[in-house]
Amino acid sequence: MLPTPYQIIAPLVALIAILYAWNLVFRQKKTIWEATLWTLFWGAIVGIAIYPDVIDYLTVATGIQDRENAVLVTFLGILSFIVFYLVVRLEEMEQRLTRIVRMQALKDVRMDEKDRK
Amino acid sequence: MKVVAVIPALNEETRIGDVIRSVKPYVDSIIVVDDGSRDQTPKVAKDSGADTVISHADNCGAGAATMTGISAARMLGATVVITLDADGQHDPADIPALLAPIREGKCDAVFANRFGRRNKIPLIRRLFNMIGNMVTFGATGKWVADSQCGFKAFGPTALEQLDLKMNGFEFCSEIVREAVQHRWRIEQVPTKVMYSEYTLAKGQSFAGGVKTALKLLLRSFIR
Repeated sequence: MLPTPYQIIAPLVALIAILYAWNLVFRQKKTIWEATLWTLFWGAIVGIAIYPDVIDYLTVATGIQDRENAVLVTFLGILSFIVFYLVVRLEEMEQRLTRIVRMQALKDVRMDEKDRK
Repeated sequence: MKVVAVIPALNEETRIGDVIRSVKPYVDSIIVVDDGSRDQTPKVAKDSGADTVISHADNCGAGAATMTGISAARMLGATVVITLDADGQHDPADIPALLAPIREGKCDAVFANRFGRRNKIPLIRRLFNMIGNMVTFGATGKWVADSQCGFKAFGPTALEQLDLKMNGFEFCSEIVREAVQHRWRIEQVPTKVMYSEYTLAKGQSFAGGVKTALKLLLRSFIR
């Protein structure tokens, strides 16, 4: 049986994500533990893509069987991704704001990263 | 070896003075980071003998205040930094015990363990800490007996490498992550804890703990 486009794209995306995670480990920006968590996560995505039957028990549990529901679930997934992205952006902005407050506080007492010994 | 104490403080005008006076004999310098207090915390800190008082313009969280203090300590040429809470729950008499393994070159960071001794700790607090330990283990893969304690010592290597990005109480777990990331040698020293109604009221709430856990897990994925 020929693989579906999703069964080709999902493993490729997962492979890139896993390689990226381990690349961050080698650059000492991620721990081995975190990269392992990522690998498990993307491994599960690949597993489900290649062997969709493994989520049969979900179909039984949730009753999602027809196309309409599948579309709905897909969009829910996309929305979840967007929310995740927004949360990440908010986190970044919060950190940037904190950095400004911290730098200003140090400047106020005439301490600056530039003056660091 | 220049030992600097970093004390992040928020609305602690009634406690900070006693904390500074009791810590003074054990360290070379004290840095108080006022995290946007609405009371007289910075003034009381200065009057009580703090060598440096740094004020955040707004409340950023315990993690941000701690990192500001650590940055300042580096600039002052500190070789060892002790962090402790401003509410007086830690006993400064434990500072020498925390410093000893670093002085002997046995480790890079020392974590206080409030559960390693017979301390009067409320059951609910023990439960919250256990959950905190488990979440920290889940995110970092390292088990620390008292991961959420603010009483810590950092030796020269840890002090150089420490880079906290989390603003709130989750910074305690982030320190464990930093230890794993940089392969610091860690010691855990049993310490005394002096809980009062005041300190218990200022601690993390359950909702705060859940938020901490979620942020930790999120951070571990997006880093």
